[in-house]
Amino acid sequence: MPTKNTSPAVRPTERGRTAGGGPRERSRHGAARRRGRSERFAPYVLVAPAVLIIVALRLYPLALGVNFSFTGDGEANGTPVGLANYLELLDDPLFQTALANVGLLVLLLPVAVAIPGLLATFIFLKVPGHRIFRSVYFFPAVLSPVIVGAIFNLMLAFDGPLNEVLGTIGLGPVDWLGDPGVAKFAVVGVQIWATFGMALVVFLAGFATLDASLLDAARVDGASLRQSIWHVIIPSLSQTIQFVFVTTMIGMLTSMFGLLYVMTSGGPEGSTYLPEYYIWIQQGQMNRPALASAASTVLFLIMLVVGLLQISVLRRAGRED
Amino acid sequence: MKQRILWSAVTVLALTVAGCGSASKPASAPAESGAPAAAATKLVVWDWKSGEPYAKTYIEKAKADFAKKHPNVTVEFVPQPFEQYYTLLGTAIQSKTGPDVMMFNGGGQIRDRVDALLPIDEYVAEDKSRLAGWEAFVKEGKTYGAPVTLQGHPIYYNKALYEKAGITAPATTWDEFLANCDKLKKATGAACFALGNKEGIGPQFWLSGMGSGVLTPAEYDKWIAGERDWKSPHVKKIFEMFKETGDKKLNNEGANSTAMFTDIFSVFNTAKAAHIIGLMSDIGHWKDFGEFIGPDKVGIMLPPVVTEGATPSLPYDGGIGYAVAKWTKDPKAAADLVRSLTTTDALSSFSAEAGAIASDTTISAPQDAPVVGEIVAQLKAGKPALHVAMDSKTIDLMGRLSQKLLSGSATVDEAVEELAASDQEN
Repeated sequence: MPTKNTSPAVRPTERGRTAGGGPRERSRHGAARRRGRSERFAPYVLVAPAVLIIVALRLYPLALGVNFSFTGDGEANGTPVGLANYLELLDDPLFQTALANVGLLVLLLPVAVAIPGLLATFIFLKVPGHRIFRSVYFFPAVLSPVIVGAIFNLMLAFDGPLNEVLGTIGLGPVDWLGDPGVAKFAVVGVQIWATFGMALVVFLAGFATLDASLLDAARVDGASLRQSIWHVIIPSLSQTIQFVFVTTMIGMLTSMFGLLYVMTSGGPEGSTYLPEYYIWIQQGQMNRPALASAASTVLFLIMLVVGLLQISVLRRAGRED
Repeated sequence: MKQRILWSAVTVLALTVAGCGSASKPASAPAESGAPAAAATKLVVWDWKSGEPYAKTYIEKAKADFAKKHPNVTVEFVPQPFEQYYTLLGTAIQSKTGPDVMMFNGGGQIRDRVDALLPIDEYVAEDKSRLAGWEAFVKEGKTYGAPVTLQGHPIYYNKALYEKAGITAPATTWDEFLANCDKLKKATGAACFALGNKEGIGPQFWLSGMGSGVLTPAEYDKWIAGERDWKSPHVKKIFEMFKETGDKKLNNEGANSTAMFTDIFSVFNTAKAAHIIGLMSDIGHWKDFGEFIGPDKVGIMLPPVVTEGATPSLPYDGGIGYAVAKWTKDPKAAADLVRSLTTTDALSSFSAEAGAIASDTTISAPQDAPVVGEIVAQLKAGKPALHVAMDSKTIDLMGRLSQKLLSGSATVDEAVEELAASDQEN
């Protein structure tokens, strides 16, 4: 930063040189005022691009979309229909299923967090082969959902390898993707398989900040593995765990479309619908863009609540520091 | 200092302009197609066929024919992926900019979107008698598209399996058909039906494939005309038969998790099932099956008679066709392009190369597939398919209900009741 140091050295001499001149002094005052005004505007000018982009490309389309959700479809295209679309959504058993499935995802969230957490713990505790596991676990995270879906379509097919293995050990075939009670868990399971690598990396980063002397102390005191996980590792990693909770939730709510599209198409019996998939079907297949807008608005509100929770959780975690 | 602020302001402005410019450019691009007000010099066509190698000659012939009529108009074909086609088209319709001519599936897909289309009756009057399958492109008496192919649902059977089971001719009654299924299972181990119901498309094929053997001719015609009597015991019978195939294990295993497109066709192709209600054009048809089980081993049968007085017939409609957008600047040129896309010469290329039953009734069927002759012979007595007359929302509901029927979580009564409510509402 050499310039910062040199400029104060220059200014006083300049000021000393010009001091005393009457009319010159007055014009200098005017210049200072002008400079003050332009400096006041400078921050606004500098944030303008960001604000403009957000307003023009984010907020304005959002407002248009919300506005569109209060208009009709088909023959009523463009005419205001009030809350009709929202009432239709509430009435639609398919949308109810989609929302219920969001609830199911929230309930399954602890599982989705516990799996990478446990595996990261084992890697941290240096189980034999932990180096291999570290890269193998991360591998699915680089695959696109479509590829993952296609792989599991083959694996979970009724006459697929998984059922064949089950058959050889005397268990009847399970219609993984054809039974409504099983299919949604199958898809969530695949989603967890495909994405837990990322959470695992976050956990490993959290472990890097863990005070090893605490664990050593616990070991010296004769703590069992379960006790050291419960009383040392989990409390020390509370921030990481919260972060993984929030990011996994967002991931589950917003990025399962590809898997659903490839694996179940929302079926069987509409049991694996999620709001995203519902929006796509209404927009593209049923030609109901306004209804899709209403569903999008509902999904947006859900995400808003999740996002606000996320901010408050992260803020609280930050305060504990 | 002043200069610095000026410079930053200029930079900001430049960035914003550049940002906005690049963001808005793609949106305005489609509008260019109709830029000159008087007569269009360029027509944009959207479809999902023109990119395929088998459609090359067809498109070339259509372009040549059109160039004779409108030498100054250029035509641009924009092939879209079929999976995204109606989503993309929906966006184009919403913004009222987009292609001048576009491909549609007959039935619900085009009827749901006639708001954006131009009636073309006055332009295509001459073609009406030469082409078949117009009904699928008509709504409330107005024609919105010209058919290119015919799409229908013959019941295909594997002649080799029939021979092995000692069955000489396909059944003509439902009871006889069930008895044949039994024989086939015992002799060959093959399932009676190949059914892929993952997407819920199974019941559409079933309803249309079997319907003419169950409904009386009067009921059938009324159904097509929109007066659907869901309380009729015959309508219920069609769904009872569908459930029966599940209960009696006549279908391949895991029907609800096997995709119609295209996993199920391989079940029929590998002789794991003796029958399949397939298609006539595009995919899952005589040509595909013939390549695997031999062209001479593919047979078609009419649906077995269930109700006395029913006259089984081949269900078919206009399959795909081209329509003209309402916003096109030069409707005459756009309609002429649609006519060029349905000339006898162009369609005969498409039929032979793509493996489709073309809408043109004057072209002869390919020689190497005897079953095509049988299909064409049935066209005259054929009727529109039952499911094509229904709206897409009820069709979607029927898909989900059919999965419930197969899994046993809904009864036929419940399913028919829900379908009736949805059908009458729309």
